[in-house]
Amino acid sequence: MGSTARWRMLAVSGAALMTASTVAACGSDDGMQINVYYAPEENFQSVIDRCNEEANGRYEIVYRKLPRDADGQREQMVRRLAAGDTDLDILGLDVTWVPEFAEAKWLEEWTGQDKQQAEQDVLEGPLTTAEWNGKLYAATKNTNVQLLWYDDTVTPTPPKTWREMIDMAKQLKGEGKPYQVLFTGAQYEGLVVTYNTLVASYGGKILSDDGKSVVMDAGAVDALKLLKEVSSSGITDPSLTNAQEQQVQQGFESPDSKAAFELNWPYVYAAMQDGNPDRAKNFKWARYPGIDGPGRVTIGGYNLAVSAYSEHKPESFEAALCLRSAESQRYSAINDGVPPTIESVYAGDDKEFVEAYPMWETIVEELQDAAVRPLTVVYQNLSTITSKVLSPPQDIDPESTAAELRDQLQKALESKGVLP
Amino acid sequence: MSELANEPSTRSQTVESGPAVAAPPPRKGKAALSEGKKAERKLGLLLCAPAAIVMLAVTGWPIIYSVWLSLQRYDLRFPDQREFVWFENYAAVLSDGYWWTAFGVTAGLTVVSVVIELVLGMLLALAMHRTLVGRGLIRTVSLIPYGIVTVVAAFSWFYAWDSNTGYLSALFNAESPLTDRFSALAIIILAEVWKTTPFMALLLMAGLALVPDDLLKAASMDGATAWQRFTKVMLPVMKPAILVALLFRTLDAFRIFDNIFVLTKGANDTSSVSMQTYNNLIKGLNLGIGSTMSVLIFIAVAIIAFIFIKLFGASAPGNDPGGKR
Amino acid sequence: MSDTTFVYVPPSTEGKKSKAAASKLTGRKLRWTLVDIVILVYALVPVLWTLSLSFKTAETQTDKSFFPTEWTFQNYRDIFTTNEFIRALVNSIGIAIIATLIAVVLGTMAAYAIARLDFPGKQILVGVSLLIAMFPQVSLVSPLFEMERQLGLFDTWPGLILPYITFALPLAIYTLSAFFREIPWELEKAAKMDGATPAQAFRRVIAPLAAPGVFTTAILVFIFCWNDFLFAISLTSTEASRTVPAALSFFTGASQFEAPTGTISAAAVVITIPIIIFVLFFQRRIVAGLTSGAVKG
Repeated sequence: MGSTARWRMLAVSGAALMTASTVAACGSDDGMQINVYYAPEENFQSVIDRCNEEANGRYEIVYRKLPRDADGQREQMVRRLAAGDTDLDILGLDVTWVPEFAEAKWLEEWTGQDKQQAEQDVLEGPLTTAEWNGKLYAATKNTNVQLLWYDDTVTPTPPKTWREMIDMAKQLKGEGKPYQVLFTGAQYEGLVVTYNTLVASYGGKILSDDGKSVVMDAGAVDALKLLKEVSSSGITDPSLTNAQEQQVQQGFESPDSKAAFELNWPYVYAAMQDGNPDRAKNFKWARYPGIDGPGRVTIGGYNLAVSAYSEHKPESFEAALCLRSAESQRYSAINDGVPPTIESVYAGDDKEFVEAYPMWETIVEELQDAAVRPLTVVYQNLSTITSKVLSPPQDIDPESTAAELRDQLQKALESKGVLP
Repeated sequence: MSELANEPSTRSQTVESGPAVAAPPPRKGKAALSEGKKAERKLGLLLCAPAAIVMLAVTGWPIIYSVWLSLQRYDLRFPDQREFVWFENYAAVLSDGYWWTAFGVTAGLTVVSVVIELVLGMLLALAMHRTLVGRGLIRTVSLIPYGIVTVVAAFSWFYAWDSNTGYLSALFNAESPLTDRFSALAIIILAEVWKTTPFMALLLMAGLALVPDDLLKAASMDGATAWQRFTKVMLPVMKPAILVALLFRTLDAFRIFDNIFVLTKGANDTSSVSMQTYNNLIKGLNLGIGSTMSVLIFIAVAIIAFIFIKLFGASAPGNDPGGKR
Repeated sequence: MSDTTFVYVPPSTEGKKSKAAASKLTGRKLRWTLVDIVILVYALVPVLWTLSLSFKTAETQTDKSFFPTEWTFQNYRDIFTTNEFIRALVNSIGIAIIATLIAVVLGTMAAYAIARLDFPGKQILVGVSLLIAMFPQVSLVSPLFEMERQLGLFDTWPGLILPYITFALPLAIYTLSAFFREIPWELEKAAKMDGATPAQAFRRVIAPLAAPGVFTTAILVFIFCWNDFLFAISLTSTEASRTVPAALSFFTGASQFEAPTGTISAAAVVITIPIIIFVLFFQRRIVAGLTSGAVKG
């Protein structure tokens, strides 16, 4: 019968598949593998290759690329750690995740020699993001701060404050010139970064210093007012609620761009050289605007931690140290545009560095008085709720939005609330 | 290709002949009756046991377990704080605005998309049933939305409406249709309707096949208009099929997840209850709250099913007295 | 498509005005052709759009044109050179086939009993499987996540196969019992009377009659397993068991800020191919299978 033959074929191919998959599963098992779970970064593989050479065959570092978006990265690691997965050795953690992962006992503490090396010459702001309860749980890999990017043919002198920027944008719009202020306004972590920067620039606070209670003071409310004003006075891109880093970057790069100002991470500099070489010539940067002077920007970036479930801890510490060594950080800054956390890498006499990374001085300045996002175990919940409550920014009603934030954040701190 | 074209309309006959065949086979002999009956019972139970065991193990036990979890404070990030809290989680969820927003969105999406699907599905069913041209072809292509992976279709709609890549967003000159709440909900409905209308149409077509042709002929000879024939002759005969289709689709739509996950991730108040449960569980690692939501969704679905069965009585499946199943 | 065998002859053409009738028929055909075109467009446009995106080059990905202006196979090359997609494809195929086989075997046993035998608890079994068919799957995600974590089934093939079997079983039982009810079982007896052994009677008479129904059910169950996303994304975390629908949503671009539109579309096209093949070759059976199980009562 034709159909029995078909069945047999199905069964055979099924069996073949199973064998194939088991074979694939236990492929290379000859040497020790150190798995690095890290966000996609274009040239990170070269850093790994160099560290593998240094390891000289004792182990092999393997780059396991996580999803692009921070939520996806966290979700994947968290799910595997919750299941006690021993495949994870080195974890690439966004700066906001260290408390949560440490509290859940998923991270190995850094001690002794390793700790000393991981702390050596590291800028203070980034270093605090790697600590929790006075212990070091990660080594800083790179930091990040947003800058103000502008076109010096449109605005020869960049604005220093949001007030100036808003006025300039309105005036430019009236004159029919590019005028838009682009920033990350979609409902995701990027909106929280923007809001946190505004709050810090007002000298306000969202949480108390110990991260245990909600403050939401006058500065936090003023920041809501400003966010609403910027979003609702016709000077942003109409698709602000869709704007993540990539949209913001493309909004300035595109040939028919109406943007005059862009608030974004330093990687956009390299991207602009490829994306729109013409406009790149006039693409300049300045400190992130603030209230009375320059703003206090939110620190981003990544830390490398060693999983508590790793079966190769000593090697993982060693590998992590190599991946974030001064040499590696310099390489990543030049090739991927991510700012180093080690102070000595910012060397004015390093010609190649200065050329590829001309905005380094502004970055260092911003890092001096940068704002760290609230350090708390439930950061993820806070962030999800904050971006939810603030969306869409043009609909913010400062007083009632602040009240809602207070209420929802408090619940989230107690992990009793519901995530939207 | 001939297999496609030669669509026999045997469905109606076989359905009608169903009960006759389903009648228990004649007994072998009077003496062996009780003996044979016993053996038959035993065989029946034996044959059903594996399926029943798997279904119960993978659904029954977890449901009980999730009720148990829902009564605890259990956040994987605070493993030391696990404790029994009775109904605190229920109070937290039921008093939360986000939950009710998601509930409203889910209910709204369900009603709107099922109504649209019913109308479009009926039209498609009529077309598939009566077309004079290319019947096999249209049946084949309308199976594509049914068979295609929901996530794949959702990505297609996502890229079509995304303001960076989309031909539809360009066509409608929409700036960011996926982040404005109402246009986003409309797109979710579009994706849902596109995918499931063919399924609805197939269920309805089966009902259509039950409508006797001579009855239609008689009606048209009596001067009934097409609309009268539809409402007076076809609809009554099709009622059971329509109800089954509605029940299936309503419960299916209520658990909408894939489309929302890809299209909006639930941003700007477009989250469904399934999406929210997933977020609390996987993103928030809060097993207590996540399980509470699971239980609440289960109850909601049970209520919907109950309403359907009460409202429409014995015509709902599973309630059929003939014992044919 | 030659469809002449199915021309529906409306009652009004019974009169002998064959010319008028013929032209009326052409008019009707024309109208139906229009309807057909609408349906074709409806069903195919989203599929063609994905196909088009998968052939667009990275630079033209954002040109918003429905058809590619520059063609490339690069996206396909990309997905087939990374382990990520190939592993997911192997997982998808393997998990769906195993789950289908088991569900069909168990379903066949149960459906045979339901269609042919009289035993207590039959109604309950039917009721329970109906309940499961309508069950909100997300309700199972929390407990299964926790249970599989403890049992070590999390992120393994069996961890997905089990829930797939469970949710496929009601579908299998319904479709199969509907098919089995149509089998003329008297033939089996007739064969035995002609001197065939029970095994021969089963193999020569019953199996050939039952095979189409079983095969159809297998297709429906396979489509169901192939389609799942919620379990795939909740109960897996690595390449060890992640299926394509879940892997798609984790695709990464070359860098953190580059969208993987092209590769997602290419992978989407690849996993649509089996569906297209099923639909092309087994349209009649799928339609029969879907309509038989549902319209009773």
